[in-house]
Amino acid sequence: MSVISINNLTKDYGNGKGIFDLNLQINSGEVFGYLGPNGAGKTTTIRHLLGFLNSDKGFCQIDKYNCRQDSAEIQKTLGYLPGEIAFFEDMNGMEYLKFIAKLRRMKDFTKMNELIAYFELDPKGKIKKMSKGMKQKMAIVSAFMHNPETLILDEPTSGLDPLMQSKFVQLILSEKKEGKTILMSSHSFEEIERTCDRTGIIKNGRLIAVKKMREIKKAQRKIYSITFDNETEAIAFAKEPLDIVFQNNHRVDVAVSGDLKTLTSALDRHPVIGIDVVSQRLEEIFMAYYGGENHV
Amino acid sequence: MFNLVLFIKTLKSNYKLILIFMGVLAMYMSIIIGMYDPEDLDILNQLASLKLSPELLNAMGFTLIDTSLIGFISSYFYGFLMLAFPMICYIILGNKLVASLVDKGSMASILATPNTRISVALTQGVFLLITITGLIGFVFIWGIVYCSINLAGMLDIKGFILLNIGVLLLHYAISGICFFSSCLFNESRTSLMVGAGLPIAFLLLQMLSNANKEIETFRFLTIFSLFEPTKLIIGENILPQILSLIAITIVLYLGGIAVFNKKDLPL
Repeated sequence: MSVISINNLTKDYGNGKGIFDLNLQINSGEVFGYLGPNGAGKTTTIRHLLGFLNSDKGFCQIDKYNCRQDSAEIQKTLGYLPGEIAFFEDMNGMEYLKFIAKLRRMKDFTKMNELIAYFELDPKGKIKKMSKGMKQKMAIVSAFMHNPETLILDEPTSGLDPLMQSKFVQLILSEKKEGKTILMSSHSFEEIERTCDRTGIIKNGRLIAVKKMREIKKAQRKIYSITFDNETEAIAFAKEPLDIVFQNNHRVDVAVSGDLKTLTSALDRHPVIGIDVVSQRLEEIFMAYYGGENHV
Repeated sequence: MFNLVLFIKTLKSNYKLILIFMGVLAMYMSIIIGMYDPEDLDILNQLASLKLSPELLNAMGFTLIDTSLIGFISSYFYGFLMLAFPMICYIILGNKLVASLVDKGSMASILATPNTRISVALTQGVFLLITITGLIGFVFIWGIVYCSINLAGMLDIKGFILLNIGVLLLHYAISGICFFSSCLFNESRTSLMVGAGLPIAFLLLQMLSNANKEIETFRFLTIFSLFEPTKLIIGENILPQILSLIAITIVLYLGGIAVFNKKDLPL
């Protein structure tokens, strides 16, 4: 059963900006990763789901409610983490959370207090004085504190340090266990890899692919950065029958998907002094998977 | 529909501004009434000794027709100060209540709760109307108290009540422009351009037509022409003006709420 349903959704801002004929169904209990370069239409989609925008064509629903007309009804069981966070600057953290809780007519504050402790958030300070990471934690607490059935998270970990990012992943996994439906956009492959069941990529306002996470991982292309003693050796190595991405001075970058054998045997024939795995941005992995134009 | 939680939050963020305007109005009112001397009404001469031109005085509405205390107050206080100061107050507030929240993005946190846009806009609109009522009501009570202490029995209470009801309805109608513009625009800049620009232009037009009788017809282009203190206090039939002001208020406030409910929000 689909909880979030986007049907032929179109919003044309002109100049090719906007979203066009978007179709997407997200099932109950599913964690869906929503990816795409900046300006591709991720936030526009999310704004429609929140009922902030009127579509030119098509519609979206959450729990069979129309996102634009019945947004107040949807909000009862929805948690939202905006991509650009703007609180009331004159409030302190706790005042803000209590204000939102009251607007939600929330009675049970257990989860709120648990989250504050879990993310080591200090909600006493003025929001104006808070760091980016601290504001992000506030946004996470306010999105999860009423224990919503459905969550829409726009780049939830931006500004968080690695420890907090991994704590966030743990939170998503435990919410998933409770059967929550989650749509999240992210730039971190690790985050998506560890949490999502399915992933969709949007480019120039069009959904170009929706795939199961397992399939993507199987086809994932890794980049190995190999350092040689001197440039001559590097040039010689670059002539090996490998997918050479880049060669400069002593360094050669090689792309490998699946079997490493060709690479290891080639390495045997040359005086290698270092090997590093280059971590790739999720979009790059995705684009490589689909033979896209954005090879780096 | 009405949301008390949001109302209290809005009050907390803005009460200081409202108190400042109450204080300023009370101070000016005391100064003006303090200048009233039933034995010597040559106040224009006193003002002239300040080297102000008669045109400027006319523009400020300082033209004394009725020499009673109420006539004096209505000319010197309700002719300009009582128009300009409350106006500045709700110009600032009007923008802060809706457009600024959308511009800064904090409207997203309000609308990401189970509350409709209509309820949010309605609450903010009601807040603006209550604030104006409070501000005018405070000045009204201050005037009554001040006169009963310093000029006991000289104030025509009935006329003063009518005068204040008139000015209240006038401010309701003008604040409608600010509220509507705040609901319509997504940026503070554009919201203020209309929400502050139009009322200020009206006031300037009113002042110009006061100063120069030849362009007096300009006056009728502005909402201010619907407020005539001298006619109010002598109890002339001003029902059409009153009804027009109420109609303008209702159309602009309901229109603002409807526009906010329908539009695209860049949140």
